[in-house]
Amino acid sequence: MEDYDVRSAASILASVKEQEARFERLTRALEEERRHVSLQLDRSNAPPTGSSVPPNSQPLAWQQVVMQEQSPSNQTSLAMMQEPQEVVEETVTIEEDPGTPTSHVSVVTSDDGTTRRTETKVTKMVKTVTTRTVRQVPLGPDGLPLPEGSSPLGSYTDSIDRRYLKNGERYITTPQATSTLTRSYNNYNDSYSDTPPPDADVTDNYGSLSRGGNFRPPRYPYAMANSYRPENSYVTLPIRKDDYGHMAQPQVPMGSSSVDLNRSQPERFQPEPYGLEDDRRSLGPEEEEPYDLEPDYSTAGRRQGTLPGTNRGRTMREGYEDPIEAELIDERHPYIHGMYAAPLAQPERGSMASLDRLAGRRSPSIDSIRKDPRWRDPDLQEVIAMLGHPIDPVKSNAAAYLQHLCYENDKIKKDVRQLKGIPVLTGLLDHPKAEVHRKACGALRNISYGKDHDNKVAIKNCDGIPALIRLLRKTNDMEVRELITGTLWNLSSYEPLKMVIINHGLQTMTNEVIIPHSGWEHEPNEDSKPRDAEWTTVFKNTSGCLRNVSSDGAEARRRLRECEGLVDALLHALQSAVGKKDMDNKSVENCVCIMRNLSYHVHKEIPGAEKFTDPSALQAPGSAGPQRKKKDDAGCFGGKKAKEEWFNQGRKNGENDKNYDTLDLPKRTEPTKGFELLYQPEVVRLYLSLLTESQNYNTLEAAAGALQNLSAGQWTWSNYIRATVRKEKGLPILVELLRSDSDKVVRAVAIALRNLSIDRRNKDLIGSYAMRDLVSNLPSGQQRPAKNLEEDTVVAILNTIHEIVTDSSENARSLIQAQAIEKLVAINKTSQSSRENKAASHVLQTVWSYKDLRNALTKDGWNKSHFQPTATSAPKAAKNGKPGYDDTTLPLMEKNQDGYSTIDQRDKDCKYKSAGDGSVDLAEREPLKNDTHRKHYIRSNRPAVSLLDACDVKPQPVDSWV
Amino acid sequence: MSFIPGQPVTAVVQRIEIRKLRQGEHLILGFSIGGGIDQDPGQNPFSEDKSDKGIYVTRVTPGGPAEVAGLMMGDKVMQVNGWDMTMVTHDQARKRLTKKNEDVVRLLVTRKSLEQAVRHSMM
Repeated sequence: MEDYDVRSAASILASVKEQEARFERLTRALEEERRHVSLQLDRSNAPPTGSSVPPNSQPLAWQQVVMQEQSPSNQTSLAMMQEPQEVVEETVTIEEDPGTPTSHVSVVTSDDGTTRRTETKVTKMVKTVTTRTVRQVPLGPDGLPLPEGSSPLGSYTDSIDRRYLKNGERYITTPQATSTLTRSYNNYNDSYSDTPPPDADVTDNYGSLSRGGNFRPPRYPYAMANSYRPENSYVTLPIRKDDYGHMAQPQVPMGSSSVDLNRSQPERFQPEPYGLEDDRRSLGPEEEEPYDLEPDYSTAGRRQGTLPGTNRGRTMREGYEDPIEAELIDERHPYIHGMYAAPLAQPERGSMASLDRLAGRRSPSIDSIRKDPRWRDPDLQEVIAMLGHPIDPVKSNAAAYLQHLCYENDKIKKDVRQLKGIPVLTGLLDHPKAEVHRKACGALRNISYGKDHDNKVAIKNCDGIPALIRLLRKTNDMEVRELITGTLWNLSSYEPLKMVIINHGLQTMTNEVIIPHSGWEHEPNEDSKPRDAEWTTVFKNTSGCLRNVSSDGAEARRRLRECEGLVDALLHALQSAVGKKDMDNKSVENCVCIMRNLSYHVHKEIPGAEKFTDPSALQAPGSAGPQRKKKDDAGCFGGKKAKEEWFNQGRKNGENDKNYDTLDLPKRTEPTKGFELLYQPEVVRLYLSLLTESQNYNTLEAAAGALQNLSAGQWTWSNYIRATVRKEKGLPILVELLRSDSDKVVRAVAIALRNLSIDRRNKDLIGSYAMRDLVSNLPSGQQRPAKNLEEDTVVAILNTIHEIVTDSSENARSLIQAQAIEKLVAINKTSQSSRENKAASHVLQTVWSYKDLRNALTKDGWNKSHFQPTATSAPKAAKNGKPGYDDTTLPLMEKNQDGYSTIDQRDKDCKYKSAGDGSVDLAEREPLKNDTHRKHYIRSNRPAVSLLDACDVKPQPVDSWV
Repeated sequence: MSFIPGQPVTAVVQRIEIRKLRQGEHLILGFSIGGGIDQDPGQNPFSEDKSDKGIYVTRVTPGGPAEVAGLMMGDKVMQVNGWDMTMVTHDQARKRLTKKNEDVVRLLVTRKSLEQAVRHSMM
């Protein structure tokens, strides 16, 4: 017994000693960690050095700070607030396709010099808390914190404890990791998660973060109340959702926010904590934000932005608010005081916004503020009401706040609209104080962004567009101009507003932005050398806006073409881009797209175009032909008028054949200007330079599209253009681009080649040199080539091939030599796409029609059946199907195209409504080329349309359908 | 390839048989013709000799019966079901082609590429 006792005592002693030893280890480790932390905090407090910024820093932090500054936290603090200096803007870089705005968010900030991007690794907060907690948690007999039940704090504390336990272990085992730290919190945490399997750990945290689920709600509730606290989620990391609610709710002052919490979508916001943390920690000067932020990030940033300083402070505190936190606070103080040289916030001041930023962000003293019931964020209605406040700074801050609330939050945008905030904001555009109209403009810019066209319409309905234009004329403030033009760009993405923008703003935008920034001068001063274009944001925005409106149809194109100085300036800008070899940027892209759009149908739409129309080619079949079809003709199958154009076309072809090489460019007596520049052969060189040099697919596509548009149609200039492309050695450049990885580039180039091959010499050259590349883009049966081109592109290529083998058995021979028959047969037989089937079938039929090639074909094992249309393509369907609808741009091309007669017409109309592969689809799918394609196309199927009068110039030969 | 009325004509011809497509009450061949002795031959884009008043195929409906049968735009129609088409008015030709009681028309056509092909093969 005694023995037993002794042994027992000894063993107890041993175990106690062991525990002591463990405890000591733990304490030491904690001590060391504490040292590290305080060291790093010190360091981070000091002005940051460049090296301390992790290279892979993510672009969030700046926004946060931005927001903090920008968002008026509260009425009472408005006057004291630092002026917002950062601007977050959303830009719709919607292309001509208004229906599908790309979700490309550009964020631009102006630097206030106090923030910078910082690293975004982020478990930080969590860990800070947890480590500290380790100290707090009673240790179990094994020297580790007691996992369960020892905490008086309730269920969620328990789970936190577990978390801590884990962290504690980690901590202990990884003292060396801390040495790699360079920055206080961030790095502290980084190292933390360093040793344990990093992703496991990190994702763990985040996983629980998202589970916490209050990340999503932030925006609104945030704004509305302080309910949203990111830190909550940190603390609640390990906790299940219910726990979360359990602890969050008591802190939520307003019921609404808890509702929001519940319907949150946490996943999306996982990255946010990074941003958050970063931001708080970013002390250094902010870096210029790169564009094209990932939406998530910007969102995160934005959301933070909507968080006024108070919230920020408060939120920081929230983490500490839970029971554990309360215990921890005292412990933390020593660090914090030591870490921050900056004065602590004074909690009683009442305005968080006025707090020192540093201190305000993390000082524990904030919690007293947090508990201050006087604190509440204004709700949306109040913010909107503040827009009408008699004190200007209140107005501007309210507008700035609105801007942030609206950032990427469609709900708030809608609410602002429904609360009638938009007219008020629009009214503020005319406010004399720069601060006020700037902020109002910023808010409008964000509101105008997005797919919700109602917001755009609301801006238009309260005369926002003229107001913006007025302000553009009035202000010299670059930032305001950026905001205005950005807003206009956003607005221009909505079809019905395009003409409004043109009516109110075209000349102003041209005069105020495009011309000055393009470097073009009306009357160049002989002494000064030509100026280069400046790719400013204002220019980018304005050109984007014009790019959008330029797709609004013939009238829009006419207005833009006739807008004084516009074409000149755009061309100058592009030339300067080529000169500087700087052509991958968005501004260049916008300019080329405008040029491309303005080149569309130029041969029909410019005043006096008739003069240049090839007299023998008065009616290009594609353009005039189908348009002239009338239903009445159906009865006799004889489109009497229609025949003439065909005759004319043929004759023109005949004449062209003779003229190919004896092309004399017209002599000019005076310099061309305005829209005439669009189709001067000189532009060919410009487009070819862009095609050679640019890496930007949109630019490439647009430049090829411009050549395509210019080389379409039968008029003197398109003859010149086609010949000039050849003489400028443009064909190899285009052929080269057939190898592009970009679907749309390949498509545009293919169609351009098709138009260019109207020129007989071009056709021969293209047949010899482009065939292989064309064929290699074709899918082999059901297998797509590596590039996996879209149906439209394949059809475009097939149509191009068809064009170049038509009337040229030589080219058909090259086609066979390029091993195309196998592919064509495969497409014809097996392709899922009826349009591809038909296009391939047409090529095959054309090839088969060359009897001299049949021997060779038969030798290769082909027979007539391979060249017949597949049985499935009913004649009727085929009739409509083949027409490469892309031909709408190519008025010349569609010999065998749509609308032969009204019989077809009927079918076609039905088809449009029903068919899956209908042409309308295509037009919509290929919006970049030009919106008007679709319109034109549709129009071309309707009876009487323009150009009709042209047919009456001559007596019409009879042409009868049989 | 000049076709002077009264003179013997040498042409490489292709026989094309088109089965009309019935669409409602209409029979459709799927091509259109131009030309005829009552038309201005100078406006015919397809003829080499601008005095040629023959009947030419001006358009072919893609996938239509004519195209399926191999008729091509620009073909000159020499005969329809054995009837001469080199010396007819436009309307005569049209009527010959559109007889409602005939479901099939047999054309004899000639075209430039046929000529070339023949010449090519002889060289």
